[in-house]
Amino acid sequence: MGEVELSCRAYVKMYLHSCLFPRCSINGLLLSSASTGGAVCVTDCVPLLHSHLSLAPITQLALTQVDVWCSQTQQRIVGYYQANACASDSSPTPCAMKIADKIAEQFDNAVLLMLDGSKMSPDYRVPPIVMYERKDSRWTLKDKHTIMLRQWEETRDIAGQMLESGDHSLLVDFDSHLDDITKDWTNQKLNNKIAELASPANGSM
Amino acid sequence: MASVAEMYDVGWEEMRDKLRKWREDNCRNSEQIVDVGEELISDHASKLGDDIWIIYEQVMIAALDCSRDDLALTCLQELRKQFPDSHRVKRLTGMRLEALERYDEASKHYDAILQDDPTNTAARKRKISILKAQGKSTEAIRELNEYLEQFVGDQEAWHELSELYINEHDYGKAAFCLEELMMTNPHNHLYCEQYAEVKYTQGGLENLELSRKYFAQALRLNNRNMRALFGLYMSASHIAASPKVSAKVKKDNMKYAAWAATQINRAYKLAGRGTKENKCSMKAVEEMLESMQITMS
Repeated sequence: MGEVELSCRAYVKMYLHSCLFPRCSINGLLLSSASTGGAVCVTDCVPLLHSHLSLAPITQLALTQVDVWCSQTQQRIVGYYQANACASDSSPTPCAMKIADKIAEQFDNAVLLMLDGSKMSPDYRVPPIVMYERKDSRWTLKDKHTIMLRQWEETRDIAGQMLESGDHSLLVDFDSHLDDITKDWTNQKLNNKIAELASPANGSM
Repeated sequence: MASVAEMYDVGWEEMRDKLRKWREDNCRNSEQIVDVGEELISDHASKLGDDIWIIYEQVMIAALDCSRDDLALTCLQELRKQFPDSHRVKRLTGMRLEALERYDEASKHYDAILQDDPTNTAARKRKISILKAQGKSTEAIRELNEYLEQFVGDQEAWHELSELYINEHDYGKAAFCLEELMMTNPHNHLYCEQYAEVKYTQGGLENLELSRKYFAQALRLNNRNMRALFGLYMSASHIAASPKVSAKVKKDNMKYAAWAATQINRAYKLAGRGTKENKCSMKAVEEMLESMQITMS
């Protein structure tokens, strides 16, 4: 199957989401603002939940709202990410696959991304992610060589820097938004900070 | 680096009071507890009197949560010196072993406590936590069920069990646990709302109607609970859209859904005033409510 590119913004927000709730399973949606054809470019992500991932109502609500926002902003949902509470277990849960299935109904090349907690030490060399794609109605491991993160070291450094300075506490996921609806789950503030830290050379903004 | 006292312009009494508040509210803001607690202990230990022992315990647990074994050990050693035979302190020793992932040692440690005192609930619950940490959900569930047969009033345990069942997608049993919690805590809106979410997830008309009732109940107990409000909207909409319901049920549920939609819109308009950051999320909600109304009629 095709190549998948992960932007700095998408990676950093996923990373900060998992750092904000280290004791919980967390999940979110992967978005793309690029047109289809060729590689799938994941340009952004929306962090969703950090509790009761397998309960339906809030997940349905979030999917609907993000869908609406995407159509207002010329983006589309192209994938799903999850990090399990148990750091040593990076296998997709049944509910992860269910949600990813739903996304795949609308987008053929949908991806399922699991964050690997055991590889998220301070000086990790490779992106701590495991990606799955849909082949013959099953989610199968994607060939590592088809996954691209441009300017990986810079992205990793930005993520680390923002964690150090406590910026992860600025991240709002859908769960937090429901606790306080004045908070913005599109995370414009955080997006701006990430853009400031990234050099102009990193094209996948 | 500036001290907590300098950064927030607080004295040691405020720091001590803050720690007490976090203890009482059972907050798990471990990074903050470590920051405040470590400074309080190192700079003001002599002023704390007997409070210091409970602060050592609180800071030790928070330190384990933040992988600060150095700090945890310091606290533990002080507690061991002061209370050499205490089971409560022995439990903390076990927790440190857990944090270091020496689960077998920790388990043996708790077994020793239980030999001495078979009614020690803390040790039993730690053993169950070890099973959970090792990913042994089925065993954890079984042990927790056995525990609850003996200690049927333990709220924390019932809630933990409901969480374990939800993770295993065993919604029927999760609902049972939440029913226990609702019976003993009839004013807790969170239990009602969680129960409603479980029922909604189970699906089917009967469960949807139950879920709508409990979302409504949660709202009666706390009219700011947004999850309950959205839940009411969604469950009522789904019931109204079902081909199996009578015209009257359809009409009633459309009314509930319409009411919920108005409340949601009002809440978002109120939230939107003064901040421009959440305009995106506001617009998304407005459009979602509009589009769902169209599909219903």
